[in-house]
Amino acid sequence: MLTSSRRVSLTAILLVVILVTTSFGTLLAQGEAPKVLNVVKFELCPKFDNVTVNVVGDAGHNLKPYQFWADDFAKMGIKVNVIEVPFEGVYEKEKTEFVAGTGAFDVVTFYPSYIGDFAGNGYLLPLDDYIKREPAAVWDPHQDDVLPPFRELYNKFGGKTYALTIDGDIHIFIYRKDLFENKDEQAAYKAKYGADLKPPETWDDYLKVGAFFTRKKGDKLAGETLTDDFFGSAEFAKRGFSYAWFMDRAASAGVNYFDENMKPTINSKEAVAALQNMVDSLKNAPPDVLGYGYDELRDAFIKGKVAMVVQWSDVPKKAADPNDSKIVGKVSVGRLPGTKVGDTVVHRSMMPVGRVVAVAADSKVPDAAYCVAKHVAYNRSLEQVSTSLTGLDPYRQIHLEHPEAYAPLMGEDNAKAYLAGLKLALPDGYPDIFIPGAAQYQDSLDLHVNKALAGQETPQAALDAVAKEWDAITDKQGRDKQVKLWQQALASYKALGLMK
Amino acid sequence: MADKLAFRPRTIRFSIASSVERRYRTTAVLFVLPALVLLLAITIYPLIRTLSLTVMAQELTVSPDAEYVGLQNFQKVLADGRFWNAMQNTSFLVVVGVAIQLVAGTGLALLLSEIGRSRSVWVSLFLIPVMIAPVVAGFQFRVILNDSFGPLNYLIKWVSGGLISPPAWLADPKTALFSIMLTDLWQWTPFMLLIVLAGLQSISVELLEAAEVDGASYWQTFWRIKIPILLPVIIIGILIRLMDTFKTFDLVYLLTGGGPGSSTETIAYYTYLNGFKFFSMGYTAAMAFVQLVVIILVSRAFLAIQNRQQKVG
Repeated sequence: MLTSSRRVSLTAILLVVILVTTSFGTLLAQGEAPKVLNVVKFELCPKFDNVTVNVVGDAGHNLKPYQFWADDFAKMGIKVNVIEVPFEGVYEKEKTEFVAGTGAFDVVTFYPSYIGDFAGNGYLLPLDDYIKREPAAVWDPHQDDVLPPFRELYNKFGGKTYALTIDGDIHIFIYRKDLFENKDEQAAYKAKYGADLKPPETWDDYLKVGAFFTRKKGDKLAGETLTDDFFGSAEFAKRGFSYAWFMDRAASAGVNYFDENMKPTINSKEAVAALQNMVDSLKNAPPDVLGYGYDELRDAFIKGKVAMVVQWSDVPKKAADPNDSKIVGKVSVGRLPGTKVGDTVVHRSMMPVGRVVAVAADSKVPDAAYCVAKHVAYNRSLEQVSTSLTGLDPYRQIHLEHPEAYAPLMGEDNAKAYLAGLKLALPDGYPDIFIPGAAQYQDSLDLHVNKALAGQETPQAALDAVAKEWDAITDKQGRDKQVKLWQQALASYKALGLMK
Repeated sequence: MADKLAFRPRTIRFSIASSVERRYRTTAVLFVLPALVLLLAITIYPLIRTLSLTVMAQELTVSPDAEYVGLQNFQKVLADGRFWNAMQNTSFLVVVGVAIQLVAGTGLALLLSEIGRSRSVWVSLFLIPVMIAPVVAGFQFRVILNDSFGPLNYLIKWVSGGLISPPAWLADPKTALFSIMLTDLWQWTPFMLLIVLAGLQSISVELLEAAEVDGASYWQTFWRIKIPILLPVIIIGILIRLMDTFKTFDLVYLLTGGGPGSSTETIAYYTYLNGFKFFSMGYTAAMAFVQLVVIILVSRAFLAIQNRQQKVG
């Protein structure tokens, strides 16, 4: 039986232990933050009265900014509570809360293809009045600096601004420059194909170069004996976003999702050829490529297993990080391969995913929520896109004009080459489907692309099935309404030069 | 109370007894009421609400309004090739998976029943997978089955001296569904083991000794005595695992996302997509009800076998 003094001592010790471990845990959880660059000029919002702002987003490195800038939020009298949802589950988690009207979120992070659904159904607050508020240094996120596709497609619906971009996703071509520049490899390629070894200009070249670099353990690569199998290329071939890697090929061949009257054109002969190219490319990929999502595809490249990939534009940042990458300093970026149309090679780069932040229409603290959203979308945006601590990609002109922000990560020359590669890719941008029902159209295309990749359907059968399902989805959504929205979307895509 | 009542006139006694009974009844109802309300709120009401949705078309991506469409949703479900593919995948997991769990669980239970004192230690160790959250088990097998750095393929290559090239378990349409089944087997075979072991321990020792004295072999004892006695318990175990496996969603979500292609898309996963990704509420409700009917029919079949067994016994 413990005496009362012993009980008091034990309780005190226990409390101290709990306090220390909690603080230590908190310190650990905070982690490092990128260095403040002071390039983007702004002022913080006037101090709120200790309000809590609930922020929802896909779990992982892209929610780290809310940790990085905790002090900034504290100065604004705002406590940010971050709610993580799975990457593939963003739509259903947020839509469920909106439909149920729970008011669980103040700031919502979502993929911009959902803006038609969320803004169109009144779940989001229009931000135009906030943007025009004075003083501009506090409230204006300088939307004119956001690159047009990331502003017009990602942020607007029905002529109003509902969201602010925080991640400008676009596909770029990333490759091992050390292999392409190796003299022995160049000579061998020339001997085999009678052409110079260079980053592939077309998707047919992509297959050739991929086959060339696919080697077995024990073979030579760039003068060194391989200790494991090496592969020419890899794809995002897992269910979820494999359709985007197909559309990189199809869009460059002139394929569009629908014609002007929403008749699906996704099963044209050009589209079938594009899907066949993607199926053929799997011969040059690791044997488990059908299980490759973002993480696996990124790791296959930065761990030195694959010679070239098409990926989101944050992967070169990861490739430059010596904590994760085995190929630091060996990476270059460029335009995606294209398709010869007439005498020209047309290049297109899908813009899948992306991220925007918006204020929920039923938020009880809309002013504070807007301040949080604007802080991550503008005030600290350069720090966020230039660090390997996040997967956020450049989307503003100012992000492309400051290679010194990226230099500590990848070196000055590589930083300039990275930004030059981005500037080449951005005009090739090809949009995802943005009209209501986007999740259904995408799922149907992704399922059948994946079935073709898995050998369960031929490319023709797969895309015919997509066309049939898309018609059914359009009817379910209301054909007349969808046609009108699609025509508006087409007009804006053409005005932005994203579709010809 | 009875003594006190004995000295009163009959009508008064009856009146007092009724009043007491009413009070007891009211108290009993008040105690049961919270549980009943909860049951109504979380089971009966959603069931009725879902049933009403099965005859409505409600696309929440378009509008919250619902339109009466009769049996159209059921017709669409039965004509949906993706639904039947999902049912096929689920049937594989249910039939093959539960059969393996039964055989392996029974085998392990027989072995453990022969062990003396240390049995409880072994049972505790075997039960560890059951105590792990399915999400954790899923992540664990995602690592184990990884082609590049997973220990399973590393072991296979090491043991075979590099002669065997193991498959990419989760990335090969031929092995992906089996890989999901493997994860489920690892986690839930111990549950079957526990059910059968409990049944084995309830068998009278005298019965087994009498059989031994009569010259019955081990297998004769097993098939003629143990199995008939265990059958009711085994049927309940099968039924529970059947209903659980039919609902397989978490492993599919974590390991494969329904792929490669549609090779691991189960009925629960497809229902989830329709309900929570496409927000086609009427269609999802119809699909859920078709599944409910299937489960009820299968359960009735098993319970009928059990009833027949009990009558014969």
